[in-house]
Amino acid sequence: MGVLENKARARLFYKYLSKVYDTINPFIWNDEMRDEALELLDIQPDDQVLDVGCGTGFATQGLLQYTENVHGLDQSIHQMQKAFKKFGKNDQVRFYRGDAERLPFKDNSFDVIWSSGSIEYWPSPVDALVEFRRVVKPGHNVLVVGPDYPRTTAMQKVADSIMLFYDAEEADRMFEEAGFVDIEHHIQQAYPGSPKAITTIARAPDE
Amino acid sequence: MKESLLDIICCPIDKHDLELEVDEKDGDEIISGTLTCPECGETYPIEDGIPNLLPPDMRDEVTA
Repeated sequence: MGVLENKARARLFYKYLSKVYDTINPFIWNDEMRDEALELLDIQPDDQVLDVGCGTGFATQGLLQYTENVHGLDQSIHQMQKAFKKFGKNDQVRFYRGDAERLPFKDNSFDVIWSSGSIEYWPSPVDALVEFRRVVKPGHNVLVVGPDYPRTTAMQKVADSIMLFYDAEEADRMFEEAGFVDIEHHIQQAYPGSPKAITTIARAPDE
Repeated sequence: MKESLLDIICCPIDKHDLELEVDEKDGDEIISGTLTCPECGETYPIEDGIPNLLPPDMRDEVTA
């Protein structure tokens, strides 16, 4: 059992981690990789986009290059306080505190759902993905970035004890179970040898 | 938060529409207030302009 499976602990962990969060991550995720992932989505200027686990607002910044209608959700107010500094509290982005596995949004509310650097902390990733499918419009895309499962045994032990890591096969299983179709994965890496990110795009089925 | 967000937010538990009670406003921004689910009776606070829609079992950070 990973130490972050207990959500209360996860929040406490984040309370302290948020001080240094923009530099610590189980995978390396930089501007270039974020922008590459954004290009995989076809975000239109009038699209309503939800950023789940928006944290300090790193991805939110990228999403704002495509649309003015960005909604950021996070369970931790400490993480979001950094985002407030970047975008204002009620200015460029609509912010909410909430749980990825029990989203406080009505069915079919968003054109795109984005989540990067958050799935590894969800106790039940499939439950969260089922919620994504419910709140994204039918036929529309979700994009999830998480840590790719390491190939070496030593790193696997570290990975298993800390948080969720998964490979393309496991990602297929999770997204299929949540009812998504057209599931594709992109492995992204900052430089050779650095921890890899796995970026998955999947489509909610048409009505 | 703006009142127009009531069009997309709902109770995280039963997904029912929420009812808004405003305590403090600044222009069209709701600074503090309460969102109530008429279905299950659960209430969600709007704190410093941000709706706290965490389910009650995750809202235990008293000193947060």
